[in-house]
Amino acid sequence: MAEKQYSLWKDWRLHLIVLVVVIATEMIGSKSVSIGVGVVTFLPMLYAIVIGLGLYFTPAVKEKQSKNAESLIFLAVSLLMAKFGVTIGPSIQTIIEVGPALILQEIGNLGTILIALPVAVALGLKRESIGMTHSIAREPNVALIMDKFGLNSPEGRGVMSIYIFGTVFGAIFMGLIAGILASATPLHPLSFAMASGVGSGSMMAAASGSLIAGFPELEADILALAGASNLISTGIGLYISIFLALPLTEKLYSILIKVRARKSSNVQADVEA
Amino acid sequence: MLKNIQEWIMVLLIVGAITLVGNWVGYNVMPVEAIPGILVLIVISLVGLILGKIIPVQIPAVAYISLIAIVVSIPGFPGSEYVVKWTTNVNMLAICTPILAYAGIAIGRSWADFRKLGWRSIIVGMCVLLGTYLGSAVIAEFVLRWQGII
Repeated sequence: MAEKQYSLWKDWRLHLIVLVVVIATEMIGSKSVSIGVGVVTFLPMLYAIVIGLGLYFTPAVKEKQSKNAESLIFLAVSLLMAKFGVTIGPSIQTIIEVGPALILQEIGNLGTILIALPVAVALGLKRESIGMTHSIAREPNVALIMDKFGLNSPEGRGVMSIYIFGTVFGAIFMGLIAGILASATPLHPLSFAMASGVGSGSMMAAASGSLIAGFPELEADILALAGASNLISTGIGLYISIFLALPLTEKLYSILIKVRARKSSNVQADVEA
Repeated sequence: MLKNIQEWIMVLLIVGAITLVGNWVGYNVMPVEAIPGILVLIVISLVGLILGKIIPVQIPAVAYISLIAIVVSIPGFPGSEYVVKWTTNVNMLAICTPILAYAGIAIGRSWADFRKLGWRSIIVGMCVLLGTYLGSAVIAEFVLRWQGII
């Protein structure tokens, strides 16, 4: 195992496959499709994730390639973080100017509780919904829930299900909704740029990539703001979860579950009457 | 540790090389023009990774990488104009494509778990992402308008 760990770069089969996928997807290029309410942007990176997933089920990719790919992603992502970083420096004046918005939009992550928790409870989910909706369930939040409720608790199962969902579908989903929302709502693309830094490198890249495709003249600002907000999310996101989001989720859950219980007992009463 | 660093350098060089090809095919930047930029990004990443390993505080390497990248690109930092000029030739989207290709291959292993998720988890998952994205954008919009920036 230790031997394997140190030979990621020697997996030429893996790198060759990725090279071919990159050439193919970049040749296709990004495509924008108007869907009435807004514009959906399909970026080469979105084709790449789908093709990569598809290849996993062909003989070209073996278990070893998949494991190596997983281990080296954090190295590849570091290049992306460096790229976002060097766009922040030149825009530091702008970043300071929009600092209040950058910090306050972090609280907007609580929007997941307001939108997703009622849906989860309405769908009949119980305490799983607390793990599912208190955050976007990336690694630090999985650790937080496991620490507080345990691996086999309903909350633990909930956070894992959203973690898996985000891992497989997060970048694709963010890439698609970023383009649609920025073109269909009156909100400014720079507001969406700040919102793109959700604390996951690939989701941020997909969301800000779609914004850039839609608003190429704002490229430098979009990159700098997305990068800065992602950095803030990485830095304080977990503390917001611990002190604000998780207590709020539990509180709102107990309210929603009571409302639901009352409703269903009303229905029960109606039936009995 | 040394083995680690050697591994990091090799992986970063390979991913960097693939990025340059994508940068050429998709964004028409000749690899020769983008080589200095990708090398700068590799060096920043490497320093951040090493700091993350040797500094005994629980701070992830990506935080160091981001901070170093910000500092060396701030106007006034010695050589920052070169850092900015060179890295501009490396398109952000060109860096993402290989990362997500690797990610796609890696998540194949999560696919079995993904298929076991019920439809309710998938609906809630979409609401979670939509909620955080819209929530943050709405607050940012309010503050930016209030400040008169947009």
